[in-house]
Amino acid sequence: MRKSWTRMLTSGLVLALLVGCSGNNGGGGGANAGGGDSNGQGGSEAGPTKFSISMRTLNVSYVEKNPDINKDKYVLELEKRTNTDLDIRLIPHNEYQDKMVQMFATNDIPDVVQGTGGISGPELAGAVENGVFLPLNDLLQEHGQDLLKFIPEEAWKRMTDSKTGNIYGIPEILSNPSRRATWIRTDLLEKVGKEIPTTVEETMDVLRAFKEAGVEQPYAGRQNFKYADTFFGAYDVLGYLNQFKVFPDGKVKPTFFDEENMKQAIQIYKTMHEEGLISKEFATIESADFKSIVTSGKAGMWSMNANELPIWGTQLKENVPDATVALIPSPVGPDGKGGYAHYNPVTRSFFINAKAKDKAEDIVKFFNWMVSEDAELFFSFGIEGEDYQVTDGKPVFEVPTDAAGADKMRYLNYWLWLVQDTTYNKRVSELSDSGKELIDAFDNMLSNEGRRGIEFDPRLEAMVKYPELNPKSDELPPLILEHVLRMVYGREPIDNYGKVLEEYLSKGGNEIIEEATKRYNEKENAFE
Amino acid sequence: MAEPSKAAAVSPRLEGKIDNRRRILGFMWKYRALYFISLPGLLFFGLFKYVPLMGSVIAFQNYNLFAGVTGSPWVGLEHFQRMFQHYDFLKILRNTLLLGTYDILFAFTAPIVLALLLNEVRQVVYKKIVQTIFYAPHFLSWVIVSGIFVGILSPSSGIVNVMLGWFGIDPIYFLGEDSYIRTVLVGSGLWRDVGWGTIIYLAALAGINPDLYEASEIDGAGRWRQTLSITLPALLPVITILFLLKIGDFMDYGFERVFVFQNPLNIQSSEILDTYIYKAGLQQLQYSYATAIGVFKSVVGLFLISIANTISKKATGESLY
Repeated sequence: MRKSWTRMLTSGLVLALLVGCSGNNGGGGGANAGGGDSNGQGGSEAGPTKFSISMRTLNVSYVEKNPDINKDKYVLELEKRTNTDLDIRLIPHNEYQDKMVQMFATNDIPDVVQGTGGISGPELAGAVENGVFLPLNDLLQEHGQDLLKFIPEEAWKRMTDSKTGNIYGIPEILSNPSRRATWIRTDLLEKVGKEIPTTVEETMDVLRAFKEAGVEQPYAGRQNFKYADTFFGAYDVLGYLNQFKVFPDGKVKPTFFDEENMKQAIQIYKTMHEEGLISKEFATIESADFKSIVTSGKAGMWSMNANELPIWGTQLKENVPDATVALIPSPVGPDGKGGYAHYNPVTRSFFINAKAKDKAEDIVKFFNWMVSEDAELFFSFGIEGEDYQVTDGKPVFEVPTDAAGADKMRYLNYWLWLVQDTTYNKRVSELSDSGKELIDAFDNMLSNEGRRGIEFDPRLEAMVKYPELNPKSDELPPLILEHVLRMVYGREPIDNYGKVLEEYLSKGGNEIIEEATKRYNEKENAFE
Repeated sequence: MAEPSKAAAVSPRLEGKIDNRRRILGFMWKYRALYFISLPGLLFFGLFKYVPLMGSVIAFQNYNLFAGVTGSPWVGLEHFQRMFQHYDFLKILRNTLLLGTYDILFAFTAPIVLALLLNEVRQVVYKKIVQTIFYAPHFLSWVIVSGIFVGILSPSSGIVNVMLGWFGIDPIYFLGEDSYIRTVLVGSGLWRDVGWGTIIYLAALAGINPDLYEASEIDGAGRWRQTLSITLPALLPVITILFLLKIGDFMDYGFERVFVFQNPLNIQSSEILDTYIYKAGLQQLQYSYATAIGVFKSVVGLFLISIANTISKKATGESLY
């Protein structure tokens, strides 16, 4: 009897150990293990191809509120048109990176994985280098000719491992990377009798006039200068991930190393802070507050993604009926240029699990369909006879104006359409005035502005090593940001900026510049 | 000559050991039902506390998600070295220790005081209402707590600065200054958790024999004397145990509660190990580095708790183990 007790205890412990360890082994077994649940229904010609796909919800409320996205009528319609059976696995927008890494760590990887940007984003946790995904070169040649034609070389480069030449993902693209714009309240401009400002000085003039006219926040500021970097852009000192440039000494450095211009840009913000042209507490204003400040009519000028024009414009008008708003060319700095940091030409990317090899052909065909005319019509308007009618061979569609309709459009136009040019939806925008304004702004104004420098993807190893020096896609590195904010708030003299750069260099910056220069010269995954 | 005497000395001890083992097994068999009942608990701790503990070995590796624990290369103490050599390590450690100290000074003592005060309230209805009001914030997430504090501390519209204005004091940007952020952090924690912390003390207070109070009243003790001579001594065991537990968490001020208040203007005083782990380790996918810092934290915690336990055992006779 005593023995049986010992046995029970031992077996209990062994079980516990096994359960505990198998999790780890699972992660270790990685790419080589068998196909899991996906193998059973391999491709008999007639039946739909069944595959799973992970997708970030991207704050699209239609998706987030949907009880079961896989039973949504548009998903079902999509499946019908492409002869597929999708198993969409949603990944919450705000926990995207954590959940993705979890997915890789537990080896619960769907057949298709959606990433953001290139092949080495942090959300992929190094999956590409570790052979989790299938090289797609041959498959694309055979089944993805339309994709190859539609997607520009520049975007393919981002999906390619420059050492082997293997293409690992299918990118969704942004043909006009100048996505953010300067917005101004034209009704206020008229009220104070000023012209649309073009330079930094003129802009300051207008902001001062706004202040005098009683505008609470002439320029809407936000935490860490996010969406409030108009003047850093004007002086070309943004210093983000894609803002490296070659300096006169031949070295590749972040643009904030341009000491003179940086000091001037900081001075502008400092003046704005002193004169109350920007909120005194902008260092703690977050995105939701920012939006409410703008849409409640408290701000005179701000920066925002241009494609938000129809939505933000409508909301502002609901609160302040007299308000009119326009996208204007961003104020230019000493070099006669201005604008915001360019976006990555790849917005989303889709990777095919190496284990789903037998289905890969059909999956590539599925993505190839995404750039067809049939797809464009479906994702722009919806289902024929239900969302739009065809008269005289032409689709007749009415742009929905209510919130629910707008949500649905965002879902179809933007989320469910996996591979497209995401700059704006041509077919829908052409139908409304604000849409036409948007097209005009993108094609004739934004395409001519914005700052872009050299970008490294995968990012520099030294940056990973020194997180304080690692900028985000739209924020200065924490170390620089901290000092700049202190200077703007008057707690540190601007003349100290030279010392800040020295501090940056001594705390690991030298390594960053060395690596950047080397990789740029050797053309190793460096993009211009 | 030495050899046989040694053997002779060992064998009785060995016998004693075997004897001992037999006795223990016999004892276990006698209370087998209890041991059986405890199995699920043991399994729980084994599975969810001890097995994950083994994961700490990645602090000594260059952990690769896809290679796993077995496939990742060993690097010894490299990550610990890197941590100690970090130019801001001392600052971060200092912030962590300072916040921990303030937390014990204020957040630990406040529930005791509040429980004593509540204990003196005669009106039961009033007491319940006050208790409920104090409990309520505990159920708010830190994100919401920070939202509330950002609101009330705002220099332009926050009530605190409006009130300061009545006394002719210029608005203060509380969240934008190094010198105030620790006060805000400890204060917000106090507001959120003080009521929750009183629960155990109130339960202990309810267990004090009323005869003691009656007797002391006959002896002429006032309420203050009663509190000092009866209530506090009766609470002391609970206070000691909770204090020891708190000491173990000395370095674990908490990630979220600090992170939600951080901005570049207050980072000099608000960066602590927990937030640094998040930024340097998890955001940059440096799991081994993050784990090394975590292990360092745990070791310090273990060290502190054993010291405090020993002292407490000697001084008061109360201890965790």
